[in-house]
Amino acid sequence: MNASASHRSTGIDRRPESLGGEGRFGVVIRPPAYRLDDGTFVCSRLQGVDHKSVATLPGRIEVVVEGNFVGVVATSLQAAREAARRLRLEWQPLEVAENGTQQGRALRVESSHQENPAEADATLGRYLTRHYGWPSRMRWGDEPGWVVADHGRDRLDIWAPTTTPVLLERDLMALTGLAGEAIELHDVASGSGIGRHCGDDAAADAALLSRAVGRPVAVWLDASYARDVEALGQAQRIAVSVEWNAQGGIERYRNRQELVGSDTPVVALWLSGMLETRRHDDDVATGEPASPPFSPYVFRDQRLAVPGEARGSHDDGRALEWQHGFARESFLDEVARESGQDPVALRLRHLDDPRGVELIESVTRRAGWSWPTKASEEGSTADVRRGRGFAYAQLPDRHGRVEEGVRSAWVADIDVNRVTGDVRLTRLVVGQDSGPLVDTAQLQKTLQQRVLGVARPLLAREPSFDEWGENGGGNRDSSSMQESRRGLVAEARNVAGTSCSTPMTRSDGEPVSALSPLDEADLSPGVAVIANALFDATGVRFRQPPFTASRVRQTLQGECGARGGEAATGRRATRWRWLTGAAVVTAGAAAMLWPWKSPIAPVARPAANLYSVETIERGRLVAEVGDCVICHTAEGGIDNAGGRAFDTPFGTLYSTNITPDEATGIGNWSYAAFERAMRHGISRDGRHLYPAFPYTAFAKTSDADMQALYAYLMAQPAVSAEPPANELSFPFNVRALLAGWNALYHDASPFQPDPSQSDLYNRGAYLAEGLGHCSACHSPRNALGAEQGGERYLAGALVEGWEAPPLNTLSRSPIPWSEESLYQYLRGGESELHGVASGPMAPVVAGLGELPESDVRAIAHYVAAQMNAPASDADDVRLEAQQLVARAATSPAGLEAGERLFDGACASCHVDTGLPSFTQAKVSLALNTNLYSERPDNVIQSILGGVHATNVPGIGEMPGFADSFSDSQVTTLVEYLRARFAPGEPAWSGITERVSQIRKDDNKTHG
Amino acid sequence: MTRTLTLTVNRQSHRIAVAPETNLLHVLRNDLALNGPKYGCGLGECGACTVLVDGLAARACVLPVAAVIGHEVTTLEGLATPDGLDPVQTAFIEKQAAQCGYCLNGMIMSVRALLNRDPHPSKESIRAALEHNLCRCGTHVEILEAAYRAAGHDDEEGCA
Repeated sequence: MNASASHRSTGIDRRPESLGGEGRFGVVIRPPAYRLDDGTFVCSRLQGVDHKSVATLPGRIEVVVEGNFVGVVATSLQAAREAARRLRLEWQPLEVAENGTQQGRALRVESSHQENPAEADATLGRYLTRHYGWPSRMRWGDEPGWVVADHGRDRLDIWAPTTTPVLLERDLMALTGLAGEAIELHDVASGSGIGRHCGDDAAADAALLSRAVGRPVAVWLDASYARDVEALGQAQRIAVSVEWNAQGGIERYRNRQELVGSDTPVVALWLSGMLETRRHDDDVATGEPASPPFSPYVFRDQRLAVPGEARGSHDDGRALEWQHGFARESFLDEVARESGQDPVALRLRHLDDPRGVELIESVTRRAGWSWPTKASEEGSTADVRRGRGFAYAQLPDRHGRVEEGVRSAWVADIDVNRVTGDVRLTRLVVGQDSGPLVDTAQLQKTLQQRVLGVARPLLAREPSFDEWGENGGGNRDSSSMQESRRGLVAEARNVAGTSCSTPMTRSDGEPVSALSPLDEADLSPGVAVIANALFDATGVRFRQPPFTASRVRQTLQGECGARGGEAATGRRATRWRWLTGAAVVTAGAAAMLWPWKSPIAPVARPAANLYSVETIERGRLVAEVGDCVICHTAEGGIDNAGGRAFDTPFGTLYSTNITPDEATGIGNWSYAAFERAMRHGISRDGRHLYPAFPYTAFAKTSDADMQALYAYLMAQPAVSAEPPANELSFPFNVRALLAGWNALYHDASPFQPDPSQSDLYNRGAYLAEGLGHCSACHSPRNALGAEQGGERYLAGALVEGWEAPPLNTLSRSPIPWSEESLYQYLRGGESELHGVASGPMAPVVAGLGELPESDVRAIAHYVAAQMNAPASDADDVRLEAQQLVARAATSPAGLEAGERLFDGACASCHVDTGLPSFTQAKVSLALNTNLYSERPDNVIQSILGGVHATNVPGIGEMPGFADSFSDSQVTTLVEYLRARFAPGEPAWSGITERVSQIRKDDNKTHG
Repeated sequence: MTRTLTLTVNRQSHRIAVAPETNLLHVLRNDLALNGPKYGCGLGECGACTVLVDGLAARACVLPVAAVIGHEVTTLEGLATPDGLDPVQTAFIEKQAAQCGYCLNGMIMSVRALLNRDPHPSKESIRAALEHNLCRCGTHVEILEAAYRAAGHDDEEGCA
């Protein structure tokens, strides 16, 4: 193996297929609790591994344990995930010290206007202190992808999207004991270098797994690594304070580092015990001479802290310069706003450097800077706030000479979507004074590349399955990035112009390499400029990067009194508490089951203009997929006013009023209450909702979609309507019992895309499993009314007297479905080889009609995968269909009574007489799945009630014959239809009983 | 819920306020006062209500009005032109194919739909096409002869 290692590495890339049969797939299992507290790593201790729990799984499963590091390796990712799910581990729970040691969280709260003690003095306008943080991991990664490690006997090859290769190599050396030359990093991403992300952690995970199993191992890097980001918390915390005089001039300036650890090592290193779990900055101090971070400004009394001894080298960028620059430039912005000054003027006031002053003046002039920025007044809408920010930096050159260094001034314009949390960089003016001999074209190009490199990890959305629009899985993020790129191209000329307009000569004549101006391009203001623009736009100060959509959304919603973000955190915490409880069987488990939930305080109905038209429109689409109106509208009632009856085996339930009426609807529900109901099935007043409301599926809805749905519902007309009280039999009328039900059957975890599947599949799965809640009707339920999974998933069920046919391999359709047929059916309500949508499916199709084509295609793709269906209908399938139709052309003997009924009532539309007809049923009954089913319910329903859906073009209108046929006539007709059109199937039994039952039920619901 | 729909009937555009699921027959007779199409069974069984939609026969009593938006509806009233009656109508008059006449609208419209696709259908085709147009008076022989004449079978003998 060793001998082949170097050869093998040539053909490998980050695609696991390139590993051939050699490769394995690994999934790591992190402890229930682990975190870095002020540089000290603490985690639950692994006490036991039950290997038997995965012994029965098929295929080769290897469990890798090193200290508290646990991983499972299998021959496919799915097998590894399944094994990781089943593997029973015993963890010693971590003593929870809930005293807010987690600085990341503390800081986040602070960022949403929680005041510092020093704030009291600040109100006098004289003194201000603020803390700024820098995360250990900027984010989990740029996009999901494979990370592959191949650990030979004395060599390690890694394919990982690391942006900090030097740090990664150092950590891998510590992890494996190999020398640096024996480790080769492939596929290194050209990132901005502003921070590490979890590509490094995944690489270390893969390396440990690969070493243990002696084969290359691929690990999937995705948002699940966000747990590492959270656990590692802050790497750096800087306190800055100033005192200013009556004229607004800064008298005293102090900064202090409260936490030092600019490069937190990979999680596997902590967990495996290779790195002692104590303050990491104690043991690897390098003794490198420390110098205070450079500040370009001059204050009368200035004290800059000497950075503590950080571990390792700083080869991966000027990490400390970035961090201090961010703190300083954010803070000056805060001081300016506190003291009522133009942030640019405040800086100029304390800048002694003529080149810097000239650069700032040039950039602000080109950017059209004015104060106040008024950016928010120019183009803001209900959801989108605009903002503008400024930041400046000056770095000494590599010899520490200040005068020769780079000066860089930035003005950024951004759009912030308050609902989705998206931050879009709309325009950026960057001016750079880099010395005399710079190739300006090259510099311009470099700046463009690297500016986007900075902006992307700071701002980018998670690549997601919940994008709406014709591009479906297409990434809105990339398009907004392209927009930014356009904005930059326009302004980049100014960059060149600026650096030309301030010609400087270098005293020592040392040449600046035109080919690599990277060192000379100072991007450190890039972080602060966005934080400042964010404040300008939203009034919320972000004191720690990154400013990703989810963080911005959570913080802004915290501002608005809604608690969406908190709810998300709570959900995660709950899940882990449950796992821990299961392992140690403590009172924690009982507490988890305690049925009482506190009410969420009522609020005033949100103002009609709180949300933008775009958000409400997105919410409308969400509502259409979710089919809210179908269940929440009584027969003939007003949309969404509730009162529709649901007969369940446990009694009759009535849907509730979900219009924004404050007394009878959800008008006084806050977003937090709404989200809790949607995800956990708990009403605003704390009562449990019955799972006839498919919160079990809705839980999978993404935050952004949930917000938009709330916005849409709240924007609808309020209707005062009190639905009838539920009529349930004991014990099902005791809502508290549902707490136990939820513990048994409800998984409130959000949707997780499957990386081994395509984007189309994942989009389809998100829609079908979540909002679309296909399985609510199409999966059978157990005795307690819970949907069955596994092989019974989508295996068909009886709903409201209609059969929802199986959508898996159990489908009884005479002609097998194809993806194309499914699409035609879902889009147009009709498939030429299968018939029309009817019954409760007709309004579903009508709702889908509102969706972009790509979304309906995605659902069809997902359902087709459950059915093992081909992409399109082959010719032989069409031939088979023709044969089925031909076979049914003549009437079977001995059923003359049925034939007479059929000829009189049905044949004018259901038999092709050669008359060119608009009202002819286009699909022969010989292809109708309902006639091939195990039960006659849908045939009986169609005859009695007809087929109706006026708003779907493909769904023909068929009158109901309930008033013209007796039960025995319907029975005769149903027998005849089965015998003529599905001659291979056995006759149905008990038709008469079903007819009279369905007639009775229909009379009840239709009054 | 009532909506304002635009319908094209007999080459004229009409805007009417109506619930979209209302059947076309009611709209034609009640809103547009076109009484050529008749109300028979209301279940699409008898054919008395037949109209043409884009030249195809359609049973107006089972067709929601929303389904014909954007399509051309022609009733019996719309068959004739300023130059004279439709040849099918002329044939039915010449053959005196009416007893009570209630089914004739459907008979004439169905024959028209058949001839639109095939100007010279065989007698078998004509019989098959009219199989589900009911006549209570027993005027089938005259009706078929009228249809044969309209289809150009005039010179042939007999009708059975």
